[in-house]
Amino acid sequence: MPTIGLPAGRVAPVTKPGPQRHRFYWHMLIPSLAVLIAVTLAPTVFLLATSLTPLDLTRPATIGDFTHPARNYWLLLEDRRFLNSLWVQARLSFWTVGLQLLIGFGFALLLNMRSSLLQALRTVFLIPMVLPPIVVAIIWKVIYTPDISPLHWAIQSLGWRMPALITDANWALTAIIIADTWEWFPFTMLMILAALQMMPEEQIDAARVDGASAWQLTWYVTLPYLKGVLLVAGLFRLVDSIKAFPLIYILTDGGPGSLTEVTNYYAFIQAFNFSFLGYSSAITVVLVGFTVILSWLILRLVGWGRDVE
Amino acid sequence: MSSKAFAYRRATERRLIYALVIVLAAMIMLPFVWLVLMSFKTNDDIFAFPPKLFFTPTLQNYAGLWASSFRYSFLNSAVVSVSSTLLALLVGVPGAYALSRISIRHEKPLSLLILASRMAPPIAFTIPYFLAYRWMGLLDTRLGLILIYLTFNISLVVWLMRSFFDACPRSLEEAAWVDGATLWQGFTRIMLPISGPGVAATAILCFLYSWNDFFFALILTRNQAMTAPVAVVNFMNYEGWEWGKIAAGGTMVMLPVLIFSILVRKFLISGMTTGAVKG
Repeated sequence: MPTIGLPAGRVAPVTKPGPQRHRFYWHMLIPSLAVLIAVTLAPTVFLLATSLTPLDLTRPATIGDFTHPARNYWLLLEDRRFLNSLWVQARLSFWTVGLQLLIGFGFALLLNMRSSLLQALRTVFLIPMVLPPIVVAIIWKVIYTPDISPLHWAIQSLGWRMPALITDANWALTAIIIADTWEWFPFTMLMILAALQMMPEEQIDAARVDGASAWQLTWYVTLPYLKGVLLVAGLFRLVDSIKAFPLIYILTDGGPGSLTEVTNYYAFIQAFNFSFLGYSSAITVVLVGFTVILSWLILRLVGWGRDVE
Repeated sequence: MSSKAFAYRRATERRLIYALVIVLAAMIMLPFVWLVLMSFKTNDDIFAFPPKLFFTPTLQNYAGLWASSFRYSFLNSAVVSVSSTLLALLVGVPGAYALSRISIRHEKPLSLLILASRMAPPIAFTIPYFLAYRWMGLLDTRLGLILIYLTFNISLVVWLMRSFFDACPRSLEEAAWVDGATLWQGFTRIMLPISGPGVAATAILCFLYSWNDFFFALILTRNQAMTAPVAVVNFMNYEGWEWGKIAAGGTMVMLPVLIFSILVRKFLISGMTTGAVKG
């Protein structure tokens, strides 16, 4: 056999001619690309088109009416409910991303020891993140429903009073933030933990030898080292926070009033409660715009997924 | 400080950290355990005040759930998730292999398309699919869900499998060609078996994503093709608040998820950061 005896690293002369191989790979690639484009890109173009029409399912004549293409977008600028939803979204994103980074970082530091006990417990901390989102929403619905809530019972037996958080105007958004943080801190924790484990030990040892305290070590050595991963993890969570749906649907339904109505939820209401699909498409296009920009930013940061060879 | 005292301090520190981590783990687990316990309580026990930590477990919630139409929804979930996963693997794995073996010029747009399709809010796909399905009669069908789940499954397969194939040395298939194997045989006989574990992990991740979906199923199904997550939520609306059944349904929905996620926990993050981070 011709390959035997060739020095390692030297590739055997390839018997298949280049063009033939090239064609073969393209034959394999094209179906995947075609399906990917058909199921994702084509609908997005379609969405863009419907956002230019006043499409309303109760009025069939509105399908394909492109007479005032920019009308939906002009309406958006004056829609108080839409602007409010952006503000709710901003607050929800700010607090959930901030808290998840903070708690994820804290937990990662705690768990970053060589120990079989901590190794086993890591799996426990994963659970909130892997649960189906709808189950997470049900869990928190139980906790926030005074009749059956262990939390309300605990607070009450301490002699304090607590309002029903999800129906209280001052607390509803906070209740969602708490539930979302519980669900997703494992994500930031895992990413930070992975980075911590790749941290060169010499850096830590050198700082130790210089007499750095644990706090100084964290602040001046670990944190700067983690800057990149914190940013990427934060961006991922930021994009995902725009998609928040099951928690809001189950816990507050956007209420009380529209205090917890994020933009995604408002688009859902416009489309599937009011059947204004055209207007909802315009809202969604704005959201997609945000996600594409943020995705592009992530790719810039991590170098487009893999090193250029 | 003597080395003995230092070692003693380190050991105390370690024990403190253990204690703290265990307390935190218990706190994180509590909400989840509570739901599971609730699924084994009678309605009276659920509303008991103060809540009972020790109670006689009952299976009546599960029995009631299984007697209702929930079991069809559970079956729908399983059929739809498995089918969409298989379809995505069938289409995506060859593409991933090709992508790992040739360099294409438009790498960046592809990367962005894959990441953005994972990042886009589900409603962005739901509106066009809803309109198209209404026209094609695919609303409330399993096929409709299988197809829309491809929006995330294809990207997942292409991205994850490509990094698995990247890790397989090219010399292996080249050796097979030299021995007279065709290009296709090099793929099916050499590369696929080697990357078997990768295919398995990818399949599990696709299954989890499909199984966990709530939004698409909420909008695109009514009753025929309704999946388990939507069916559980319906116990909140129509038949009053049947907490026992809600808890039992929730527990059943999360059971396969917990088992599978622990199997693939090494790949969870690469699955969630598809398109951006190497697998």
